[in-house]
Amino acid sequence: MRCLIAICLGLLLSGCGGEGDGANRRTLVDSRDNYDPRSLDPALSTDVPTGRAVAYLFDGLTRFTPDAKVVPALATSWDVSADGTVYTFHLRRGVKFTDGTPFVARQVATSWQRVLDPKIKGGRGWPLYPIKGAREFADGKTRTVEGISTPNDSTVVVTLKEPFAIFPKLLAMPVASIAPDHMPANFGENPVGTGPWKLVEWKHDDYLLFSPNADYWGGAPKADSLKARIIAEPSTAVAEFESGNVDVLQIPQGDIRAWEEDAERKKLLASTPSLELVYVAINTTRGPLKDIRVRQAINHAIDRRVLVRNLIAGRGDLAAGVIPSSLPGSDKTRIGYQFDTLRARKLLADAGYPNGIDVELWTSTTPIYVRIAETLQGYLALAGIRAKIVQRESAAAREAARKGQTDLFVKDWYADYPDAENFLYPLLHSANKGVGGNVSFYSNPQYDSLVTLSRREQDETKRVALYTQADELAFREAPMVFLYFYSELNAIQPWIGGFVPPVIFNGQPWTTVTKTTAGHR
Amino acid sequence: MDDSHEDDGRSPVTAFIIRRLLLAVPTLFGVLVVAFLLLYVAPGDPVMAMVGERADEATIARLRAELRLDDPLPVQFGHYIAGIARGDLGKSYITNRPIKRDIIERFPKTLQLAGAAMLLATVLGVTLGVFSARNPGGLIDRLGLAVAYLGISFPVYWVGLLFILLFAVTLHWLPPSGFGGIRYLVLPALALGMRSIAFLARMTRSAMLDSLSADYVRTARAKGLREGLVVGKHALRNALIPIITVLGLDFGAYLTGSILTETIFSWPGLGRYVVNAIARRDLPAIQGSVLFLSAVFVLVNLITDIAYAKADPRVNYA
Repeated sequence: MRCLIAICLGLLLSGCGGEGDGANRRTLVDSRDNYDPRSLDPALSTDVPTGRAVAYLFDGLTRFTPDAKVVPALATSWDVSADGTVYTFHLRRGVKFTDGTPFVARQVATSWQRVLDPKIKGGRGWPLYPIKGAREFADGKTRTVEGISTPNDSTVVVTLKEPFAIFPKLLAMPVASIAPDHMPANFGENPVGTGPWKLVEWKHDDYLLFSPNADYWGGAPKADSLKARIIAEPSTAVAEFESGNVDVLQIPQGDIRAWEEDAERKKLLASTPSLELVYVAINTTRGPLKDIRVRQAINHAIDRRVLVRNLIAGRGDLAAGVIPSSLPGSDKTRIGYQFDTLRARKLLADAGYPNGIDVELWTSTTPIYVRIAETLQGYLALAGIRAKIVQRESAAAREAARKGQTDLFVKDWYADYPDAENFLYPLLHSANKGVGGNVSFYSNPQYDSLVTLSRREQDETKRVALYTQADELAFREAPMVFLYFYSELNAIQPWIGGFVPPVIFNGQPWTTVTKTTAGHR
Repeated sequence: MDDSHEDDGRSPVTAFIIRRLLLAVPTLFGVLVVAFLLLYVAPGDPVMAMVGERADEATIARLRAELRLDDPLPVQFGHYIAGIARGDLGKSYITNRPIKRDIIERFPKTLQLAGAAMLLATVLGVTLGVFSARNPGGLIDRLGLAVAYLGISFPVYWVGLLFILLFAVTLHWLPPSGFGGIRYLVLPALALGMRSIAFLARMTRSAMLDSLSADYVRTARAKGLREGLVVGKHALRNALIPIITVLGLDFGAYLTGSILTETIFSWPGLGRYVVNAIARRDLPAIQGSVLFLSAVFVLVNLITDIAYAKADPRVNYA
């Protein structure tokens, strides 16, 4: 009797279903966001889900292609003065916001001023700080930003404080997107942009639904609509993918092997050389860690090959420096620290610690980092380094590291823009100690001057050479354990065409993505 | 105030409700003080969470000033209390949205899930308990025991994932997650209600065993009453008090803490909101939700106490 009821109930419920069949669904569905965006106001885009959505709705002067090239967007071209400080951007004509307002140069100025305005409470002014007068404006000392002028509706002239050759790359970040100057009330939920998609609805913690902007200057999206679902639990995202309800899935780092070893699932995988460095920051100001030999010993103590093979199924390039191998400046001939316990012990003895040292190894509760920390602890013990693992929830762990309270801290760094500078400067320049990203508290005048010179250098070849030199120096001084650059793995449904997982998170606008005819299931 | 405490034509239940509601005010104030202080003691700076991975000291200082985080603690608390008195829970540091609107948007979804879980728990749990008690040691009783063991020992996230794998991925009966019609509600409600089903089944069984052996049941049977009426009207009614207690406590807990279920089933309720707020150190959002959820808990307890009187006329509120 009970069985009969269960069967009837099942039939009843399955009878009214049908939406599981992904190939017949007309909306593209993404599952990569795991929390609700902060806002859809570009000035507030400090996290990945926000930046991704902002990139659908807005354009910057430049944008990233999925393979991380920087190409013109709202600016069609730009000229740079001989001394490298004045950028003249020529704007695309005839572009309209989705409410019909024409796009003009003035809006570039107002949008960037909003980003810098403390009243907006965005907190991400740094991509615009190279502009002359930007900091003064942010501090409330001036009413306008001195370095931005708009001689006519289709020209923006930006004067920088000092030459900064990669400035156009920073303008492709979501925070530098252009918004209209007359904003509707509650702009964060009622965004109006020039981007390829328009917002249809935003159900908080559930999904964002977008429809194509038919007038998009770059060609309207081919699909009917795009839905970005917010799925907090990775296992749930996998279940949704396997049920055919979502089209793209980011494979959690810990699940890679299960996907690669399954013949059916393997066909759906797409690998991307994401610009993500996984490393252990060594606080160079604490106790024995001040000594280069101790830091080198820590690097030698670890078998990264085994770690990468066992923990992330080999999906990482072993790091020998902070510059990913896909970016100019990385020295592919440099050989990383080799696993050599005896050498590690000898380095420690040379540094005056024949009996080893005691350190605290901090990690957030993110499962993959906890596993890395446990693995490191085992290797370090072999070399006489007694590491005590300290596990904290991620905000608390990060804050401790920023305050300089951690010895070793397992963490990662994602590039915001594809350039070696995005690793060399924030992670190790002394100007960025603590909150700026340098939680190694590394401070070396020679390194600083190499990085500072590279930022000012106009000639690309010379700049890249400086990157390599700085990276070499950092590598030798070992202010971190250089672990690996992670290659992100995504699964894409067979009925999806044209989706290339982006190298930079906001680099895939889904405009050319299509659903092919029904069939596979 | 003085006229609240004694009868004068007012029914004792009304007086009881008013007294309890007045008592809730200091309770909630206490909750507020503790929530406020704990968050300032706990590690994690809200501004650090706002600015993301890369920032500078000047930006952080400006934001702290803008959010008035540098004011002395009593001054901040004063501002907060003044806001609450005006019915304003403040704005989220992270999203700039009013907390009140966020709660109003999400609480009905949490309520829906908790309500469905309680409905399932009541229907399945009480039924299972009643039938188990009627034939102790029988097939249904043993089945009920098994269900109870599983329901109490398996954690909700495990049960939830298992349900998704079985009913959504393998059988395609129901959607794996998300918010929508009743089809989206079944799995999370069942996963959330499992513990209550189990608990209620056992509770009902033992309470029913007690009352089925009582004299008044024997009398009822002796006067020739049909078995259905004996069980339903006489025995069950007298077994209701412990059942209501469990229902009330569990309902309160579900309304305030279905965090895991909401996370696993991507249910856009208040539980996930609170977890996100904590992860991002969004102080106004945490404080506002804690205050609201405490008020809900107080209210559910009050309703439970009133329900006792409905179930058992001997309960007296004077």
